Amino acid sequence: MVPTGEITMNIGTATSEENPTHSYLGSRGIWITYVLILLITHFMLLTIPFFSVAVAWTLTNVVHCVITYFMLHVTKGTPWGTPEQGKARTQTQWEQIDFGQQFTPTKKFLTVVPVAIFFLASFYTKYDTTHFCINLIALGFSVIPKLPQLHGVRIFNINKW
Amino acid sequence: MSMVETIYMPSENDFRGKTKKFNGVQNGGKISNGCHKKTKQVDEETEKAWEKDFCETFEETPMLAAISTYIGYLILVAVGHVREFLKSIGIGVVKCVAEPKIPGFVPLYQTWESFYSWYVYRRIQDCFCRPVSGVPGAKMVVIDRESNDHRWSFQYTGGHSTVLNFGSYNYLGFSQNSGPCAEEVEQTIKNYGVSVCGSRQELGYLDLHKQMDRLVADYLGVEDAYTVPMGFATNSMNIPSLVGKGCLILSDELNHASLILGCRLSGAKIKTFKHNCMKDLEKNLREAIVDKQPRTHRPWKKILIVVEGVYSMEGSIVKLPEVLRLKKKYKAYLYLDEAHSIGAIGPHGKGVVDYFGLNPRDVDIMMGTFTKSFGAVGGYIGGSQALVNHLRLYSHSAIYSSSMAPGVAQQIVSSMNIMLGRDGTREGEKRIQQLKWNTRYFRRRLQEMGFILYGNKDSPVVPLLMFMPSKIAKFSRESLNRGMGVVVVGFPATPMTKCRARFCLSASHTKEMLDEALQITSDIGDLLAIKYSKAEPPSYSENDVPLVEDS
Repeated sequence: MVPTGEITMNIGTATSEENPTHSYLGSRGIWITYVLILLITHFMLLTIPFFSVAVAWTLTNVVHCVITYFMLHVTKGTPWGTPEQGKARTQTQWEQIDFGQQFTPTKKFLTVVPVAIFFLASFYTKYDTTHFCINLIALGFSVIPKLPQLHGVRIFNINKW
Repeated sequence: MSMVETIYMPSENDFRGKTKKFNGVQNGGKISNGCHKKTKQVDEETEKAWEKDFCETFEETPMLAAISTYIGYLILVAVGHVREFLKSIGIGVVKCVAEPKIPGFVPLYQTWESFYSWYVYRRIQDCFCRPVSGVPGAKMVVIDRESNDHRWSFQYTGGHSTVLNFGSYNYLGFSQNSGPCAEEVEQTIKNYGVSVCGSRQELGYLDLHKQMDRLVADYLGVEDAYTVPMGFATNSMNIPSLVGKGCLILSDELNHASLILGCRLSGAKIKTFKHNCMKDLEKNLREAIVDKQPRTHRPWKKILIVVEGVYSMEGSIVKLPEVLRLKKKYKAYLYLDEAHSIGAIGPHGKGVVDYFGLNPRDVDIMMGTFTKSFGAVGGYIGGSQALVNHLRLYSHSAIYSSSMAPGVAQQIVSSMNIMLGRDGTREGEKRIQQLKWNTRYFRRRLQEMGFILYGNKDSPVVPLLMFMPSKIAKFSRESLNRGMGVVVVGFPATPMTKCRARFCLSASHTKEMLDEALQITSDIGDLLAIKYSKAEPPSYSENDVPLVEDS
C-alpha cells in the first residue's frame, strides 16, 4: 500500500518553507488569477439564458461567498502533512495566512473583493429589496469572519477541532 | 578651491551609471595626476572588486506562466475534491489506507492531510524516488517500473535503463567503485573491520580518524577540525553545543533543514533574514544590538550568523566578503555551512572562502560535508583549536554516536590526498578544472537556448525553472525515455510558481555527455515550451577556465 503524506513529499526539508499556506496567497500573479476566475464564472453565469442580469450578479456573489467561505473559514489545517507537527491543524486557512498577522496586503485584498462584488451586484440589481437582502447576507458571511476580532473565535464551538 | 568631479564606474553586466561627485579638497589636499583622490573611496572600490565577478540571476516568473500554474493547481484540486466526494458516497475507487472509524474514539489522523498526497502528488509519483542500482557516477542504471493502477503501486518490468546521471551530488566524480580510492578503502576494511562500534570519547578514536581530522584541517587551512559520521547530524548535534539560551541566531531564510533543526535544538532565539540580502542582515544585526534580548533587555551573549556556501535549491552563492565585513563590524560570529561548496567551487576546490580569496581564519566555524564532493558520508567542523577542543568534549556526536566507519574515513583520506595533490598526480587539479569548465559551459549553453536558470554562474547546481506541475512531470518522464535522469521538484517543496528541474553537474561528465544532455533538454524544451527567458545572452563563458590535459 502507498505511504501517505509527509514521508514522500519532502515538505520543509532542504530549503523549503515549513508550511506554504502562509505565503502562497501572496505570490506573484495569484490575485490576477483570482479576479480572472471570478470574471470567467460570472460570464458563464451570464450566458445561461434564463438568468437575468440581476440574477446572474446575485448568483455570482452568492457562489463566490460560499466557495471562499468554505475554503478560507471552514477547512482547517493543510492538505499535506507538515513537519511542524500539526501546529496549524486547528487553524482555518484565513488564520494561517501570513502567520496570523492582521492587515497584511493579502488579507486586505481578500476583504476588498467581496465588498467590490457587493457594490457591483447592488448596482446591477438596481437595488431591488430581495436581491439586496441576499447580497447583504452573502457579504456578511464573507467579511465578518475576516475581522481581526474574530481571529481564532469559534461560535458555539462549531468547527473547533 | 572647489572642484566637482564625476567618476563613472561601469560594471560587467550593464551600465548602471553610478556617479560619485565630491566637492572641495579632500584628505589634506592630496593631489596626484590632476584629480582629487579620496582614500575611503579607494577602499570601497577594492572591497567591491568581488562584485564585478559576481553574476547571479533570479529572473522573474512570467505572468502568463504564473496564471497558468495557478489554474493548473486549481483544476487538480477540483478533480481531487470530486474524487474525494465519490469515495465518500462509495462509488469512487481510491486505493489508500484509510483509518477505520471506531465509534467512541477520536480519529488519529486527519484525512484532509493526505489530500494532496493522494490526489496531486500520487499522479506524478513515478517521477520521484526511482530505484537506482549500481554506482551513481556519470551514468546510472535506473530500474524500470510500471503502474497498472494509476500509480498507487508499481511493479518492476525487469528491465534496466542506463541514463546520464544529473541527479546525484557527485561534484568531483569520486563516486566510483574502482580506482585508487576504492583500492585503499578495501585494504582499510581488511585491516580495521567494517565498523568502529564505539563513540569518539570511548575507544572509538582510531589513528585513522586522527589522520583524517588533520587532513581536513590542512585542506581547509584552519587550525584543527572535527569530523562527524553523519552530515545532517553535524549541524543538528553541534550547533546546540555552541549556542544556547540568551544567544541570537541570524539565519538565512533558505537554510537547510539540518541547520534549522540545530538552531531550534539549541534554545537560542532565531531570526531569519532575506535570502542573501546583506542590507537585511545588517538591519537585523543593528536592531538586535540596539534592542537586545526581548523582555529583559540584557545584551545578547552571542550573535551567530548562519549561512550556507552554495544553496542547493537556488544555486546561489553567499556574498561572503560582505558577511565577513558585517561580522567584523558588529562583532558577531559566523557559521558557514559548505555542504555544497567544498570541493565544488574555488580555484583550488577549497570552497567558498577560496572562491572569494579570503582568509579561512576569518570564518569562526567552517562546517561542511563529505557527501557531495568526496564520495563519502559525514561532515566536519573546522576552526580554531579552542573551538575544536570544546566540540570534542561537549558535542552530542562525540559522546553518543559511534565514530566514522574506517572504510569511509579512508575514502575521505584518499580523496582529500588526491585533491591536495599529495598522491603525486595532477588528478585533483584536473577534476576541479573540469567541473568549473562543465559548469560554465552547461550554464552558458542553457541560457543561450532561452531557459530560465537560477543562481550564480559558477554554481554546479543548475535549477531550470518550469513553473507548471504538469510540465515537470512530462520533463522527468521524457528525459528518462531519452536517456537522461534528472531530479524535479514541485510544490509544496518549492514555492507555488517555482517548480523546477535541478541538474547537478559533475567532473566526471565529459563534453560529449553534456552535449547529449543539452540536446535532450533543448528538444524537450521545445516540446514543452519552457524557453521563457527574456534576458540577454550571458556574458560569461567557459573559455577562461583552463583544462588540465592528461599527461
